[in-house]
Amino acid sequence: MARASNLRMASRRVDQALADDRQLIQRLLEGDEQAFEAFFKAYFARVYRFALPRLNGDAEAAQEVVLSTLTKAMRRLSDFRGDSALFTWICQICRHEVVDHIRARRRSRHVVLIDDQPELRQAIDSIEAPEEYDLVRNYGRGETGRLVRVVLDRLPSSYGDALEWKYIEGESVEVIGERLGIGTTAAQSLLARARIAFREALEKVFGAEAADIASSLGA
Amino acid sequence: MNDEDIGKLLISAGPRERPPADVEQVVRERLRTEWRALVAGRRRDGRRQMSYALAAGVLAAAIGLWFVAPQLRGPASPVGSVTLAAGEVRVNSSWSFGWSDIVPGQSLAVGQSLRTGRSGRVALSLPGGVSARLDHDTQLDVTADDHLNLVHGALYVDAGPSASPVSRLAVITPSGSVRHIGTQYEVRLMGSGVRIRVREGRIEWRARSGSTEQSKTGEQLSIAGDGTVERRAMPLYGEAWDWIADTAPAIEIEGLPLTRFLSWVGRELGREVVYATPQTASDAADIVVHGSIAGLTPAQALDAVLATTRVRAAVRGDRIIVGGNEPVSRPAD
Repeated sequence: MARASNLRMASRRVDQALADDRQLIQRLLEGDEQAFEAFFKAYFARVYRFALPRLNGDAEAAQEVVLSTLTKAMRRLSDFRGDSALFTWICQICRHEVVDHIRARRRSRHVVLIDDQPELRQAIDSIEAPEEYDLVRNYGRGETGRLVRVVLDRLPSSYGDALEWKYIEGESVEVIGERLGIGTTAAQSLLARARIAFREALEKVFGAEAADIASSLGA
Repeated sequence: MNDEDIGKLLISAGPRERPPADVEQVVRERLRTEWRALVAGRRRDGRRQMSYALAAGVLAAAIGLWFVAPQLRGPASPVGSVTLAAGEVRVNSSWSFGWSDIVPGQSLAVGQSLRTGRSGRVALSLPGGVSARLDHDTQLDVTADDHLNLVHGALYVDAGPSASPVSRLAVITPSGSVRHIGTQYEVRLMGSGVRIRVREGRIEWRARSGSTEQSKTGEQLSIAGDGTVERRAMPLYGEAWDWIADTAPAIEIEGLPLTRFLSWVGRELGREVVYATPQTASDAADIVVHGSIAGLTPAQALDAVLATTRVRAAVRGDRIIVGGNEPVSRPAD
């Protein structure tokens, strides 16, 4: 019963996220400057972090790839069908841009990351989807830490930011509310939703409780 | 997993990497330029579709007026025509009733006024190959076949690459007039003053008092309400000029050498076209372009056309660098 209820809640969150994505796209296509800022703020850093390790840490290449990725995403926004989260869709474009860039330059080394392995990629892409996956992997400490950060990036950007600000930077809920441009009560509510989403996402990727993952990181 | 577990986990994993601020700045500005071009293109497409319907309506109305009200016929022969209209653009004639929507292809005569709204822009084709463009919130009166009276807002004039050295065309403002000497320039009314930016060639400013000033490529003249003139340097490309590219009427490219097309793009973007090698220039001159770039901004057209060739180009500062088979990089804004 609880499992079915969790699935329904996850499904509602996905529906809401897709509705938010569609609304943002509509405003972008109408020329709304605030929508552009929101889009850039939500996706630039995440796409950069997605591209950089796949380009062997080449910052110059990452800048070009991120720009071409976001440019192509912009041009194809009207084609976005909402079959996946907007970020997942942008990441698919980014994968192609990385490959194109490496082919064109023939000097960068194409890095295949652990999260590009088919099973794990499916799990990470499914973070925004209501279906459940149950993958258990034992990775090294460095890779596990990186996967946790990848999971954060796959949450809605405000969730990832709020969790980092709260738990890593030690910011108060009031400050988080200010930084997100929302009130304290809304920030509290957002943090609660972010914690739930983060827990669920970790379980999809690691198939284990967060406490176990934390211990594997030596926490 | 409780609150504490989440905290421990996140601290153990460490913070996510932040992209460098300079990279963020560069990507943001270039993406914004791309996005604005995209939005302008969509508006232009939407406007074009609506224009066909409007054109039919205007034609029907014109025929009706011709028969029922001969006294309302336009008194003057055309001195230009509308090549592109986006957003709210209206025309008023001294021989007709009130303001009405304008459509691309519509002719323009002495005695008519054009007005753009908050989202409106319009491009005009004038005699001698001159292209004029009106920014948002602008009114322009056609007071003679060589006199455009800028009532408010901003006007851009491009006399073309082979403009005659001395132009008859004068842009009249409340505090003086501007004549060009083979040039591209923008005139913008700023409160009681005027700002003139010269993108190419030279202009001459003649104040109401009779005093004159000349200004050349890369200069901005700010003329205050009291006649004080301030001169400063300004870039020939960038955000301040974006609206010009957004309202650039597409040229017919079918059968054009690629070099001619690239020259047009360079002119609209305010950037010099530079070929990486003489061989690249020669190859580009031999390539003939086919198709249409209707509905595309110059930057979009550059992308679209080069995608069909083995030539590559990259925008670098004030230049468009054109390379051969080995790509320079993908073209940007």
